[in-house]
Amino acid sequence: MSVRSREWPVALALTPVLILILSPFVWLLISSFKTEAEIGRADPFTWPADLMWRNYLDAWQIGGFGDLVGNSLINLVGVVALSLVTCAPAGYALAKIRFPGREWLFYAFILGLTVPVQAIVIPLYQVLFGLNLVNTLAGIVLVQVSNGIPFGIFLMRSFFIGVPDDLIEAARIDGASHFQILTKVFLPISTPAVQALVIITALSTWNDFFLPLIVLISPEVQTLPLGLVRFVSTYASDYRLVFSGTVISFLPIILLYILMQRRFTEGLTQGAIKG
Amino acid sequence: MAGHTGGKPAPMSKRRAAGSASPDGDAGTAFWLMAPALALYALFTLLPIAATFWLSFNSSAGFNTSASFVGVDNYAKAAQDPIVWKSLGHTFIWLAYHVVMAGGLGLLLALAVSRLKITQVFFRTAFFLPHLVSLAVVGVIWANIYDPFFGLLNTALTRIGLGAFTQGWLSDPALVLFSVNVASSWQGFGLYMLLFIAGLQNIDHSLYDAAEVDGANAFQKLIYVTLPGLREVMTFVVSLAMINGLKGFATVFVMTNGGPFYQSELITTYIYRLAFQSQDHGLAAVLCILLSLLAIAITIVFNRWRARLSQ
Repeated sequence: MSVRSREWPVALALTPVLILILSPFVWLLISSFKTEAEIGRADPFTWPADLMWRNYLDAWQIGGFGDLVGNSLINLVGVVALSLVTCAPAGYALAKIRFPGREWLFYAFILGLTVPVQAIVIPLYQVLFGLNLVNTLAGIVLVQVSNGIPFGIFLMRSFFIGVPDDLIEAARIDGASHFQILTKVFLPISTPAVQALVIITALSTWNDFFLPLIVLISPEVQTLPLGLVRFVSTYASDYRLVFSGTVISFLPIILLYILMQRRFTEGLTQGAIKG
Repeated sequence: MAGHTGGKPAPMSKRRAAGSASPDGDAGTAFWLMAPALALYALFTLLPIAATFWLSFNSSAGFNTSASFVGVDNYAKAAQDPIVWKSLGHTFIWLAYHVVMAGGLGLLLALAVSRLKITQVFFRTAFFLPHLVSLAVVGVIWANIYDPFFGLLNTALTRIGLGAFTQGWLSDPALVLFSVNVASSWQGFGLYMLLFIAGLQNIDHSLYDAAEVDGANAFQKLIYVTLPGLREVMTFVVSLAMINGLKGFATVFVMTNGGPFYQSELITTYIYRLAFQSQDHGLAAVLCILLSLLAIAITIVFNRWRARLSQ
């Protein structure tokens, strides 16, 4: 199979598709540097006369993006950390310990993997309300962790099942507890699973809209996607702000991905196939 | 807590299949390892599932009112509500659009990208970029692309001489569901592409060599080797795309809020409207049950299908 002979025809054929698919980003990026008058001329293909960095400053200040990014970061770190702490031990127990009710629990988790969060939103809101967690970052962290638990447990469990039982037996003979086996033996050799869990959880938390929409009511506690939607509906007629605000909300994650693309790709495919 | 293994130590030789390494008396340990996950999951998922079921048989006019048992009244009410039927129909159309557009584009691009060696990482990375953006932000982006005056799409069409094709993409009742789904599919296809690429890498290369020896051309190799080799990934991607599609909410909420004339209302957006705006919790709960049943049905059907394929 000659590889080189077909490399460039295929790459060439894919280039227009690539341009088409990425055009929304390019268009927004270019438009975000234009003046209101330039946008008003309704020609998306002209280059801005001057790069209006001001648009970004205005959007950042008016939209309170500093707070939104901060809230999103707190949200992200909280969910990722808590997901690891809850899913790894539970996945270990389901994979390697026989206990009564194990099958039953397994089906209970499948239920959570299947039922969309929109289908349980009313009682979910009531539980949060009862616990005084509505409109708090703690509240959003807890519901998102719970929402991701079935997937996280399945991911860790299916990875742990592949670890030989002999390792456990050897450690037990040395007097190690299950908790020690998990933290000292299993987790250190589970980098691919942990990486998949971190990336998938981080991405879905960072981008979640539905749960924050329900839980986070005041602007001070809102996360980036929710804040952007509120900002855009408030300043809908000021396209300058809309465009630069939108770019602010997608550019950081895209730059991060370009830097770490191999890890992202591995994590996402590994997680999807294992989970 | 005795269960399967009884109270006495089982000899090592009596170990059962997977996950039997533990000696007895570990049920307590298992419980403590499960406890944090189980507590959160029970409180924020299992309890709400049960409560939704209960709520569907009760009347409740809001979060601060008490509910009273009304039997299947809510179900009867749902059956008579034209918007329930509309949103159900739209959800099925939405799923079909998403599977065909996002799944189909993912497959086509995977087939093309996986042929590349030198530029593969570049194309794979670039094609994946839209998937990193929140669906709500995608909604904002595409609302601007579809904007009749400033929007990229209509202006671009005019500029290349296709002015006749300019549309009110989001205001035309016949077109709106498709337009919004294009935005969702634009965000979704990247993950499906990655999964297909992974699936293509797992196809045994000797099958291609054998086909070549038999004189198969590129098309025949695609039909007789590649696509059969992708069957399992394909069922997985289709089920994932359907579940993702079923959860579709943010793009519709941001771009059209279900309009015009409920023409882009989905089950999820109608649930939100009923629960948090008109506060008809009984009716909303019936829709929640419907949504859950659809999700469970999709999962069961595709798991069966996949199990049969892997036999």
